[in-house]
Amino acid sequence: MILSVHDLKVNYGAIPGIRKIDFDVNEGEIVALIGANGAGKSTTMRAITGLLPFQGRVVYRGRDLAPMHAERNLANGLALVPEGRGILTRMTVEENLRMGGYLRRDKAQLETEIVATYERFAILGERRSGIAGFLSGGEQQILAIARALLARPKLLLLDEPSLGLAPMMTAQIFDFISEFRKQGLTVLLAEQKSKHSLAIADRAFLFSMGEVVASGAARDLAEGSLIRNTMMALV
Amino acid sequence: MGVSIFIQQVLNGLTLGAVYTLIALAFSLVMGILGILNLAISEIFMIGAFIGFSLIMSGVPVWLALPGAMAVAAVISMVIARIGYEPLRNASHITPMLSTLGFSMILQNFATNTWGSDPMQLTLEGWLDTRFHFGLVSLSVVQIVVFAVTLGLCVLTALLIQRTDIGRGLRAVAENRDVSRILGVRPRRMILVAFALSGLLAGAAGVLVGLHYSVITPYIGVDIGLKAIAVMIVGGATNIWGALLAGPIIGILEVLTVAYGGAAMRDFIVYGMMIAILLVRPQGLLGGSSKTSGGRV
Repeated sequence: MILSVHDLKVNYGAIPGIRKIDFDVNEGEIVALIGANGAGKSTTMRAITGLLPFQGRVVYRGRDLAPMHAERNLANGLALVPEGRGILTRMTVEENLRMGGYLRRDKAQLETEIVATYERFAILGERRSGIAGFLSGGEQQILAIARALLARPKLLLLDEPSLGLAPMMTAQIFDFISEFRKQGLTVLLAEQKSKHSLAIADRAFLFSMGEVVASGAARDLAEGSLIRNTMMALV
Repeated sequence: MGVSIFIQQVLNGLTLGAVYTLIALAFSLVMGILGILNLAISEIFMIGAFIGFSLIMSGVPVWLALPGAMAVAAVISMVIARIGYEPLRNASHITPMLSTLGFSMILQNFATNTWGSDPMQLTLEGWLDTRFHFGLVSLSVVQIVVFAVTLGLCVLTALLIQRTDIGRGLRAVAENRDVSRILGVRPRRMILVAFALSGLLAGAAGVLVGLHYSVITPYIGVDIGLKAIAVMIVGGATNIWGALLAGPIIGILEVLTVAYGGAAMRDFIVYGMMIAILLVRPQGLLGGSSKTSGGRV
């Protein structure tokens, strides 16, 4: 098991954002956190990454993570692609990619991997000198994912990667994510679009009002009526 | 005769502008990356001048006195970052600014108590006292040193900001603190780096002003520091390269005003230009969408 979350609670001042969350992620899996807007998925992702203070336990590769240590967590292989992509809009595409390897010491190898990134994601190669803020939403999402991969994560957290994207680009992004499994990368995916998420995930946890209300194999959840009943307008 | 005097004034203005550029760059680094006006920079510049003077007067060569004064100025700036800025980072914009104002008063008081309030003079000797004459126009070695050091520091700063991991880290923190953190940048460390760089530049400017005028007082920070703020505003308060353009403009404008309009008109013209820029183009000549500018962290 690469990640286990026990009794996670996150408060925004006096307002509870996460009431009680328990789930786990096995190595090599794609695990989806699904639920409506405001269910607590992004808050969970940000707390695990180290951007929000939390109560409870987050155990990553056998070690308890202390809250608010995003830099240390990244160094240990836990990378987040945040909701809204988190592109550094004033930097060029290439500078954004270099920021992906900010903590890496093997800079020569990083350069090689950036070149390989341009081959894998051709649009980034074409726009390498362009300002990242001028990319389309889909291109920014590809850049955000490519940047996170350059940190060589062991666990990649993707928060709403399809947010604001056209259906064709959403499909392309999910194709990329399902490829990660073949490379042995573990993915924790938070998404409102449960249909897409359940199609590529191994297991899923359904969030509602800051709690997990259902969990199981992604295929079982996709076939059942629970999700439809819980998220009616969102499926 | 008239043309020679004009060229001489332009050269003098460029020298003054070079010093303004360095101090304005020091202001802009903190302003552009952290979004606050560090008012202590004027006095860090003054302390740099006194440290440089003291080292040179005690026999330390200029090429060692310059980095020595820069290092002291950087340390002072980092102390201000830790004590005067970091604990107040989440307060309103005015709070850390007032804190830096308090530090500037302390630094001026320290200088008055340490070196006295009378002007301190330096007699330039040897190669530093050399002047080159081109007809009626002359250029001193000190002026060449001022140009060379300013240009060198500006190029190094540009390379650091644009081409290194530290520079990218600074810009990442300026743009989005949370995103910078998930990329492995430590914002507190970057804030310290910004203040240190700012101190290095202000300290260098202090030594150069001391060499150029050969006389300093604990009060030089106020006058020259305010001019540097004007340079920063004219160039673009959140664009660290605006200072490169506005420094020479203000320097030449000031010197030409004194030469042809009288010293009494000097501040009227310089600050009048600053106000005009604020009214017509508040973002400054180069302010706006630069990738080196940013909001408050």
